[in-house]
Amino acid sequence: MNPASPTTGRAPRRRRSANRVPITVYVALGAMVFFSVFPLYWMFVVATTDSATATSLPPHVLPGGNFLHLANLVFETVPFVQALVNSVIISTTIGVGQAVLCALAGFAFAKLQFPGRNTLFLIVVLTMTVPAQLAIIPQYLIMSQLDWVDTLQAVIVPGLVTAFGIFWMRQHMVGTLNDELMHAARVDGATTWQIFWRIAFPLVRPAAFVLGLFGFVNAWNDFLWPFIVLKSPEQYTAQIAIKALQNNRDIDLGLAMSGSFLATLPLLVLFVFVGRRLVQGIMEGAFKG
Amino acid sequence: MKRVNTIAVFAAAVLLASGCSEGSGDDDGSGFEFWSFTGINQKIDVDAYTKAHPDAKIKLTEVGSTTETAQALTAALAGGKVPDLVLIQGDDLPKFMQAPENFVDLTTLGADKIKGDYLDWVMSQSTTGDKIVGIPTDVGGMAIAYRTDLFKAAGLPTDREQVSKLWPTWDAFTEVGKQYVQATGKPFLDNTPTSIFYQAVNQGTERYYDADHKLSYDKNPQVKAAFDLTLKVFASGISAKQGSFSTGWTAGMSKGDFAVVSAPAWMLNAIRTNAPGTTGKWDIATIPGGSGNWGGSYLAIPKRAKNPKAAWKYIAEMQSPAGQLANFLAKGNLPTTPSVYTDPQLVGREEPFFSNAPIGKIYTQSVVNVKPFYIGPDDATVGSELLNTLTSVEQGKVDPANAWDTALTNVKNALRG
Amino acid sequence: MTTTLSPATSAGTTRGPSRYRHVQQGVRERLAPYGYVAPFFVLFLIFGLFPLLFTFYVALFDWDLIGERHFVGLDNFSELVHDPRFWGALRNTFSIWVLSTVPQLLIALGLAHVLNHVRLRAATLFRMSVLVPYVTSVAATTIVFAQLFDRDYGMLNWFLELLGFPHVDFTASVWGSHVMIALMIAWRWTGYNTLLYLASLQTVSRDLFEAAAMDGANSWQQFRHITIPSLRPIIVFTVVTSTIFGLQTFTEPLLVNPVGGLTCGAARQCQTLTLFLYEQAFGRFHFGYGAAVAVALFVMVVIVAAINYLLVTRIRSERP
Repeated sequence: MNPASPTTGRAPRRRRSANRVPITVYVALGAMVFFSVFPLYWMFVVATTDSATATSLPPHVLPGGNFLHLANLVFETVPFVQALVNSVIISTTIGVGQAVLCALAGFAFAKLQFPGRNTLFLIVVLTMTVPAQLAIIPQYLIMSQLDWVDTLQAVIVPGLVTAFGIFWMRQHMVGTLNDELMHAARVDGATTWQIFWRIAFPLVRPAAFVLGLFGFVNAWNDFLWPFIVLKSPEQYTAQIAIKALQNNRDIDLGLAMSGSFLATLPLLVLFVFVGRRLVQGIMEGAFKG
Repeated sequence: MKRVNTIAVFAAAVLLASGCSEGSGDDDGSGFEFWSFTGINQKIDVDAYTKAHPDAKIKLTEVGSTTETAQALTAALAGGKVPDLVLIQGDDLPKFMQAPENFVDLTTLGADKIKGDYLDWVMSQSTTGDKIVGIPTDVGGMAIAYRTDLFKAAGLPTDREQVSKLWPTWDAFTEVGKQYVQATGKPFLDNTPTSIFYQAVNQGTERYYDADHKLSYDKNPQVKAAFDLTLKVFASGISAKQGSFSTGWTAGMSKGDFAVVSAPAWMLNAIRTNAPGTTGKWDIATIPGGSGNWGGSYLAIPKRAKNPKAAWKYIAEMQSPAGQLANFLAKGNLPTTPSVYTDPQLVGREEPFFSNAPIGKIYTQSVVNVKPFYIGPDDATVGSELLNTLTSVEQGKVDPANAWDTALTNVKNALRG
Repeated sequence: MTTTLSPATSAGTTRGPSRYRHVQQGVRERLAPYGYVAPFFVLFLIFGLFPLLFTFYVALFDWDLIGERHFVGLDNFSELVHDPRFWGALRNTFSIWVLSTVPQLLIALGLAHVLNHVRLRAATLFRMSVLVPYVTSVAATTIVFAQLFDRDYGMLNWFLELLGFPHVDFTASVWGSHVMIALMIAWRWTGYNTLLYLASLQTVSRDLFEAAAMDGANSWQQFRHITIPSLRPIIVFTVVTSTIFGLQTFTEPLLVNPVGGLTCGAARQCQTLTLFLYEQAFGRFHFGYGAAVAVALFVMVVIVAAINYLLVTRIRSERP
């Protein structure tokens, strides 16, 4: 078939060498790892020494032994444990909510016929364009009306389902779920819900998982809205707690950085445990699909 | 199925968490909710108050920076849950004074009886007509912080009395700066926009508004003079061009890359936290021109507050001359009540970080002679545009010759909308 | 995954569904799609549409949020057209958007292709580390970047000096600050987009790459002829969303200048439109004017997004 391959007998060896990853790629990937990790590492360096490290020249690049002291100070200054618990509750609910609710809506937009479908989907995409910064005041007014100010659901509920997630899940439903399979299931008497829950959702589970994870991380790192709507220290999220470590004019960088590092740590742990399964899962899925 | 259970568990967790938070019912008459900003340490006052009144349940929230606190207050006033007591920074106050109906007129609670305790010009900023909106908690008297070790190395005197005598005027200050630069080859001052302009413009008899409460920044010769002075000091080459509170400013301060910072009373804390390694190396001298004020805050009670009486009781007690003196001794916020300015405890208070400088004595001197001027709702806008233009000059982005015209254009643009 | 499901569904074929149940179910089935999209629309009505309409309404007023509201018609908009700060912010927004989005998506594509490679060693390590920037708190990394780029004490300028170059005052200049912010954005979101691409690449059969390699296609050819075409729907998706979010860049310019506050520098050199509207609404309490900026931004993003949406539908119709 291929005129360029002269000796078919050596095909297996040739195939391996042709598709081997060249060393330059590893060098490039190594550089990428360095640039990706360096700012976080450096944050850790400042968090283990003190603020003077941040601007010492030549740069100070080794961690010191001050971390426990600063970490202690973080826990003493703000209700950090409570803040972490709140962040976990908020982020998990939002992550799970987004994965399921966006998949459901994405499924409807991709695979079901109903009047107004295209118009409704256009509206979904358009809602992404509303600048979030100005929605703050009207949203705050609504939360006041609901008497939700200073409660966790004021942060959770608006984030449970996003246009971005619907758009994302719809793209995946279009590409993954084929119509014959759906048709066959319908002939067998499966309800739409069953088709979604038993067929469609398992097919797009990796994408839904990615979405849920991203929803989790975004909620974890979200600052502006929780900051406006949560006021009491017992309702703080991790990000607000970090913010509370800093005064407006006197920033103790060592303290701020150890707070930030401590707030990032749970996400890193999550990624080591879940993320590994995630990226591997993605790859394994490829073989089965 | 497993997944559904997980969702149910988390939904329950959320309900539980929110249920817990709603159980904070009070209204027993002595409790109230208090919003402050960070960095001013109202906790000391709150702790002292709850110690004296164990039945008083105060819920103190440090909302964020001064601006963020003002923003949160605005949102709350616009239709949210308001606190019973709120701390407003002086620069943000004029905006709220535009709509005094949002706050309790404190004269109804007894403010008219104690208003004489406070500096007139400070009180006038929170008074409109016969209504009093806020009680002043502190003022930002002015002085100059300088590094004794660096002064010594440059062959300059280090004693605070002598240093103060070196610069009766800003021109003399500039000359000292030039000497320093010549002797050391290093810049003298952190920057000119904040350290010169914001000080000098606050030393006049009028600022951006005239006596009739009309904007006059473009006509007031005092503003122009402060602006030109800043350009002159910059041209003399003594500035390190490190914008206040920037990364480089903090680093330069720790490393001794400049020797002088203009220091309103609240700046002392910033120096302490930003350059903890320089303890004992600083001292404080009087400011050229003698007097001036920058900063200060007020306590106010929103109209819809649920516990205004408890909040007022707190104000009356903690912001009394004795209360402010106690706060000064603990935390260093400069009192607004002149009756304690001669108190031996205030005069005798020494600050170890700043070579035991008697900060109470130095700073109160700068505020007793301040001439009151009207501060209007657009003051912050005008001030920050003028400052920004001067910063652009330092960054080499605006030609000093065009700076004033550029500044006026920028202010005009900023005042629209 | 598909294989495990198929037996279950085919087992049902033998049982003919009753006609009556079918009709009763029919009504429910026809309403089902609305039920599935309902959660979004209910939340959207409350937390999305109301704020949007509110914004359009407020844009017609002169309102400081706590005082009286004065109806001014379209005055805010005519002010806006003549406001150099608005045009400056528009320029900054587009400049930062282009500088950050284009390299970010290109690098993400390349990375996804390489990381998808079947023979890549330590692939999990690499895949995980591209995500580190994404999980790191924005506020903290902004502080870190601001320090690395500092004029006198930053590591970057220290290196420049070692190499014999003069120091660059990144935050002060237009281009310097744009490059710096774009870099922060690209740094943060490249790994995120890489993972989006990776997650989608899994639907592409691994055999396709193997077969291509066997036919002598090099990595670049595989990238062009397999990776790109099969990722097309997701590429369009990322282009649309990063356009929408890129034009709303807010946090980085807000935090990069720790105290410069809401203007991102003395000359507003990196103030984006969202930051400008935030400054007007919350810094100056010109809520009506801020709303007008929001409406202008909204219209602009809608136009750009509409162009992209046409792209989406066109590409979909190309696919069988």
